[in-house]
Amino acid sequence: MIKKDSNTNIDRRNFLKLTAAAGAGIILSPYIKTNAQSSVTNDLNVALLGTGSQGQVLMNACLKIPNIKFKAVCDIWQDYNQKRAYRLLKKYGHELNAYEDYREMLAKEKDLDAVIVATPDFWHAKHAVDCMEAGLHVYCEKEMSNTLEGARQIVNAARRTGRLVQIGHQRRSNPNYIHCYNNLIQDAGLLGKITTINGQWNRSVQPDNGWPKNKAIPNSVLRKYGFKNMNQHRNWRWYKGLGGGPIVDLGSHQIDIYSWFLNTPPVSVIASGGTDYYDPATHEWYDTVLATFKYKTDHGIVRAFYQTITTNSNQGYFETFMGDQGALTISESAGRVGVFKEATAPAWDQWVSKGIVVAPSEEAKKVETKAILDVRETVAPPKHTLPIEFNDPYHKPHLENFFNSIRGKDKLNCPVEIGYETAVAVLKVNEAIKAKREIRFNKNEFHI
Amino acid sequence: MNKKFSVILLVSFICTLFLAQNSYSQDAKLVPINIDLPKSMFVGTPTNMNIEKLEKPLGKPRAPFLAPEGTKNLALGKQIISTDDMPIIGEIEMINDGDKDADDGYFVELGPFSQHITIDLEKAYELYAIVVWHFHKQPRVYFDVVIQVADDADFTKNVRTLFNNDLDNSSGLGAGTDWHYVETAEGKLIDAKGEKARYVRLHSKGNNSNDLNHYIEVAVYGK
Repeated sequence: MIKKDSNTNIDRRNFLKLTAAAGAGIILSPYIKTNAQSSVTNDLNVALLGTGSQGQVLMNACLKIPNIKFKAVCDIWQDYNQKRAYRLLKKYGHELNAYEDYREMLAKEKDLDAVIVATPDFWHAKHAVDCMEAGLHVYCEKEMSNTLEGARQIVNAARRTGRLVQIGHQRRSNPNYIHCYNNLIQDAGLLGKITTINGQWNRSVQPDNGWPKNKAIPNSVLRKYGFKNMNQHRNWRWYKGLGGGPIVDLGSHQIDIYSWFLNTPPVSVIASGGTDYYDPATHEWYDTVLATFKYKTDHGIVRAFYQTITTNSNQGYFETFMGDQGALTISESAGRVGVFKEATAPAWDQWVSKGIVVAPSEEAKKVETKAILDVRETVAPPKHTLPIEFNDPYHKPHLENFFNSIRGKDKLNCPVEIGYETAVAVLKVNEAIKAKREIRFNKNEFHI
Repeated sequence: MNKKFSVILLVSFICTLFLAQNSYSQDAKLVPINIDLPKSMFVGTPTNMNIEKLEKPLGKPRAPFLAPEGTKNLALGKQIISTDDMPIIGEIEMINDGDKDADDGYFVELGPFSQHITIDLEKAYELYAIVVWHFHKQPRVYFDVVIQVADDADFTKNVRTLFNNDLDNSSGLGAGTDWHYVETAEGKLIDAKGEKARYVRLHSKGNNSNDLNHYIEVAVYGK
């Protein structure tokens, strides 16, 4: 447990005094308060459990949200990730403690309201359930668990304790996605009858995560927390029993959107995949996955393709919903978003005037007169855009939704029931690859 | 005009142009500076980049930068200080230890908002290029990057600004006209134009992912 920092570099301090003129303002006021407008009733005391890369993303997003007070951080990598989160929060003026063991944190921190769980997937169930049993609300990163049994434990604990649990499918709170679901698809029916979905998350080849060799976690600590060695700790997403591989890390976010926008979970999945590129000894989960889901909606059958590859970043990540009157390409990456009208569909003028979509720019509508039309291809439709500009950190609205739900001012956008439904759909993809056959879902599988 | 003569004429023209932009001595033999590049490493999910005046990616390796023969990295291992003398993670000495790897354990993370570092080259040198790697594990853009050289440690004497993309002068060092850029494993090379100086200072004010300031390496090429 860290109580205070120390610094013994006297030479640097002395040299710094010589140059104090330029930096004095910063040195004298190193603590930046983010909650200048704080009110006692709105303050929430929060702990961050898991301060790795995802934990840091969530922490940085929280720093943009008023009235959130970090009281504790907990991570088994004391010499690096734990120290990093602790020191960062101190610089923002948070008064907090740091822990290696979350049970010690729960025992000692008596004024917490909520815990943000950003540990490896195989710890989610234990951490989330124990936090709820301690009376705390939980924001749990997706996937809820690496097993359905673990996910069920979270659902049951939430119901038993009455605590709020937000699962980290942050697109559920993204204003662009909410606009598309509520206004563009549900109300306006702009796409017509949705028949097919195409989505992907393609990434370049990436080296394994390393670590500073002089700051490795002792083997005894690694084993205590379920890791065989430091490499496994740093690259847990690739290991069976710890994570779920790219289809879970990446695909889960987008397959969640498929079910949301279609108002129903899938009825079957067929998938192909394998560890084709990386060393299977250190990449146990599939580095390449191509999956096709089938949905039975109120409007008919929808077939949805999804691919995640980790050897080429072509086209990045997006989801495209295709209907008989239009197509919507949506992504967290704002530059990829567009809505495209089929040439045979009625004019969209009314939807433009109602602010559902923004008309293509005059520049985009200009026809290149020198172009030679290849009559074998359909002419590309002009790109409509969305009327929303969203520049906040991706996770901020989802965290705000969680915090405001605790305050009784909002309703969770991704409660455990939704998180569980998505976990069932996503974890089955790995099963389908292994089984080498189509797997049908029993409708009851999605509910507890 | 034969082909050989044309080539000589072209090379002479390019050299004349180059020398016209720099104050290098006319008799200096120019050779490419040797910059050891780290492995490229973009990991994780990049955030939206709705950033004013953002350079487009070059799409190819940077052209060799020519400097007088004998030019070397003068910053390596020299004394370096920071406005944040208690970094969030990493040590200040990492900034000029020659290691440009982007992985955890190779960068120093300074506190939020405006911060700067100052390198003392121990004596005045003729400087030709400054190359900075803030953080290239993700395609990030750092804000208010201002790079200056001066004759004294407090930056009161003969201060010269070599790069400034603080377009709205929010850091108070004067409004810059340089564009924002995306961090890559190549680092950002700033032409120092042969300025003579002992002290080099690099300012920044957070990045498009968070408010923090990072340095993996800073190399100062001169002789």
